[in-house]
Amino acid sequence: MRLLNKTLVGAFTACVGFGAAAAYADDIRVGITMRMVSENGQAYGQMMMDEIKGINEAGGINGMMIKATLMNDECKSDKGVANANKLVFQEKVHLLIGSSCSSVTLPIVDVTAKAGVPQLVPHSTNSKITQKGSEWIFRIPVSGRYYGGVNAKYVGENIGTKIAYICAADAASVGDCANLEKQMKARFGVEPAYRADVQEKEVDFRAHMQKIKSMNVDGILVAALAETMARALVQSYEAGIGADVRRIGSSSASNAPVPKIAGDAAKGVFFAAAYAAADQRPIAKLFNEMVKSRYGIHAPDHDFSQAYDLVRIMEIALKNANLTGSLADDRTAIRDAIANVKGYQGLASGPISFCADATPQCRDGNRTAVLIGYTKGGEDFETEVIARVTMEEDFGLE
Amino acid sequence: MSFLSKITDFFEYLAKRHRLLPWVFAYVALIPLPFILSALFNEYLIDLVNRICLFILLAVGLNIVKGFCGQVTVGHIGLYAIGAVTSAVLSLEPGGFGGALGFGWPIWLSIPSAVLVTACAGLIIGLPSVRLEGAYLALATLGLGESVRIFIAVTPALGSSTGLMMIPAPSIGSYTFDSFTSYYYLVMTAALVGIYFSFSILQSATGRAFQAIREDTIAASVNGINIIKYKLLAFVLSAIYAGLAGALFAHMPPGYLHHNNFTVIEMVTLLLMVVLGGIGNVWGGVIGAIVVAIAYDQTKDLVFYFMDRPIVIQPLVFGLSMVLLVMYMPRGIGGWIEDFQRNRRFIRKSEERASGSTRNT
Amino acid sequence: MALLEILNLSKSFGGLQAINNVSLSVKENTVHGLIGPNGSGKSTFFNLITGVYQPDKGSLIEFNKVDITDKPAHFIAAQGLARTFQLLRLYGELSVLENVMVGYHPHTKYGLLAPLFMGSEVRRQDKLVKAEMIELLEFIGLAEHAEIPAAELSGGQRRLLALGRAIAMRPKMLLLDEPGAGLSPVNVDNLMATIMTLKERYNLTIIVVEHILKVVMSTCETISVLDHGQKISEGNPDFVKNDPAVIEAYLGKEMADDDIRLAMNS
Repeated sequence: MRLLNKTLVGAFTACVGFGAAAAYADDIRVGITMRMVSENGQAYGQMMMDEIKGINEAGGINGMMIKATLMNDECKSDKGVANANKLVFQEKVHLLIGSSCSSVTLPIVDVTAKAGVPQLVPHSTNSKITQKGSEWIFRIPVSGRYYGGVNAKYVGENIGTKIAYICAADAASVGDCANLEKQMKARFGVEPAYRADVQEKEVDFRAHMQKIKSMNVDGILVAALAETMARALVQSYEAGIGADVRRIGSSSASNAPVPKIAGDAAKGVFFAAAYAAADQRPIAKLFNEMVKSRYGIHAPDHDFSQAYDLVRIMEIALKNANLTGSLADDRTAIRDAIANVKGYQGLASGPISFCADATPQCRDGNRTAVLIGYTKGGEDFETEVIARVTMEEDFGLE
Repeated sequence: MSFLSKITDFFEYLAKRHRLLPWVFAYVALIPLPFILSALFNEYLIDLVNRICLFILLAVGLNIVKGFCGQVTVGHIGLYAIGAVTSAVLSLEPGGFGGALGFGWPIWLSIPSAVLVTACAGLIIGLPSVRLEGAYLALATLGLGESVRIFIAVTPALGSSTGLMMIPAPSIGSYTFDSFTSYYYLVMTAALVGIYFSFSILQSATGRAFQAIREDTIAASVNGINIIKYKLLAFVLSAIYAGLAGALFAHMPPGYLHHNNFTVIEMVTLLLMVVLGGIGNVWGGVIGAIVVAIAYDQTKDLVFYFMDRPIVIQPLVFGLSMVLLVMYMPRGIGGWIEDFQRNRRFIRKSEERASGSTRNT
Repeated sequence: MALLEILNLSKSFGGLQAINNVSLSVKENTVHGLIGPNGSGKSTFFNLITGVYQPDKGSLIEFNKVDITDKPAHFIAAQGLARTFQLLRLYGELSVLENVMVGYHPHTKYGLLAPLFMGSEVRRQDKLVKAEMIELLEFIGLAEHAEIPAAELSGGQRRLLALGRAIAMRPKMLLLDEPGAGLSPVNVDNLMATIMTLKERYNLTIIVVEHILKVVMSTCETISVLDHGQKISEGNPDFVKNDPAVIEAYLGKEMADDDIRLAMNS
């Protein structure tokens, strides 16, 4: 029983302990909540922390240090909301960064809007995030509403309008399929030439491929998670569909397993993203080398570049914000400073600009997607930039 | 020891006056909690307490079917999901922002309806228990619970991959329960009433029938207990708890639901609360929920730097400490409580005996 | 008047005929013995009557003029048929008092969900039941252990509790499955004395399965003998004792008459 008493006392002390953690008056507090479960998820968070450390070592923001707190939300909305609440109300952060998954970012938008804390979105692409009317939200990635249009525009103008669709049942692929179908109809007035809805982890696509072969299509959309997509790509060649029929990948095509598993079948597959590792600009080459040497990752995907761009934009905004020491005022000042970022040229496929209105036109910073094609499959896969497509500000809004 | 004894003595004294008095007292004592927390610490702790209250509802409900009645269920989280999604969909406006199904019902109607729907679902999840036991029952309920989640995940009308968003917060007239503090009174009331009902059940013929089934099903049936009826009743009762917890979770700001809030991992966390608390002990389940929720929250931002690289070690710390707890405290915290109560009874008896003998001489 | 009437009771498990066409009639207020070698089907017989097993087609069991042949166990229990188990099957983690209160279950006056909505009524009734059960525990000598878990009782106390739990059901008929198993001869005598007092006090009809033949011979008015699932003999103790079929079933053919009597009376 003495043990129980001790435990109670201990619990109480712990309570006191975690209440007192707040407020270092001269720091700029930044909270990060991200998915830290996958190998890359770890690396994204790690890179942000490293970059923030770099800013501090170079003298900080006008003499102030950035104190960053990194939390794992496991890509779960309840945990992400709890993290956001903790960061906002306990750590009293000036700025919140999060999250990786759209399903986590969506509810956090309401948390930051209500509490009045600027939020920078590193990875989420769901178009509804910026449509909630929050003044506090800023998105670094390309919004989902642009991607659908980018694919449709490029496919219709350069490949043809007779497209076969293979759609796996996972959430991302279902969305990718629907987006392309909708945009092809809106832009060119065509329905899918063929559509197959398959299971999330389907293994046998041969019957579908035979039918598609007999239809003489211009292209095939393979919307599926990485391993499933790789299998479908391999089987499309086995069925005898020639390389002149272009394979269009869904968003998962940027994942390394696709070229690694599909091998030669990955060659010629293209997809839309916000960053191409094959980018020839010096800044991109330096970045690729940095990621390779620090984290041992070959050809970083756009989630790396977006995390990096985010820290740079944050740095610019913090330097321009007039911080007074009052938390509420400083949060507003940082929000306005981010809204003033115009034409930032970083790693991203296009310039990132924000403005003051709480509208998606203002808060979806990057409107340019880059179309990336695999030129070589296998372990040492290679990519090329096929095209850059910039969309109109209000594209895809109802 | 003496401190705890005094509290227990006090509550027993209250209970002698009127059986509801200790509960009323506890309720009144809990009213100022959010103000104390935000004055002494910060507002976030109120949010934490709110989530703990939901966990308490879930754990106490799970305890009815698993602890009292001895039926292994891994489908509880599916019931939680049904309660949450039903109330959300019923209360969302048709054709709303999220693009999901909506009926625009008032929340005070959608929550009871969700509880009712969940109770029916509890009956279905309980059906395998009529024929199956142990690991087989666990598998069957796991399948049912997980199929609920997958159904939500593949149905755009129920949120699918984007989730259900902008679920309204409850309101009375112009007052809306959208702050941590106001929501606290909703979930705290629900949790306290839930605990009270759980005790009412345990200390009645219904509760004794549940426990008899847990201890020996054949003997229970021969003692006149309708096994099927009581097993299903246990499932339905626990479903009511899960449904209420789910509905309250759905409407808790920021009012967002996603199917990955209801996975097997969440179910395991729930089981952990009940096991850590001590199976079959109501207070054990409550304390288990509190301990697990706080432990989870406190290990969240533990970042361990290995060769200058941040590694989030929460899963490791959390998992390891729980393994140790379960290994070295198999009866859970409830075991302590039972020992404590028995010691007190023993001491009181011997005191009575001593005073009785002096009177005799 | 027969309280229990069994006609052509049969039960087979796969190819094994556990009970084969047994008919039995037990009069009210009597003690009926059921004996037989190991594996003769005595426990199966009890399980069939109390609804733990379902009998084969063509069987008929009538208790107190109610057909209970294919009824579930709880229904049969509610008709006033209680039993004990050879392995006791107590509710180990429940207290002694709670064990007998579970026995009282069929007579609970409030509904399943009453605890949620009529708390005070439930408590008032439970108080009455508790008082009645404490009285019963006093009678069988377990009152001072009322609060401790059943698993912590001694062997003899457990047998008493199993009996108490069955009595708490206020049955018309009590089926005792080897009540004296594992007890010393003195304790068996005490237990049988208690059972006889209980019979008088609660006006019970009893069927007892017992290995200790002396117990059966001295307390039962009628004895039925089972062997390989069939009834091979029935009558008063003296008749059964001397029935060659019984002697053969128990001891084989070769034993001398005197040896058999010795064995039966020991």
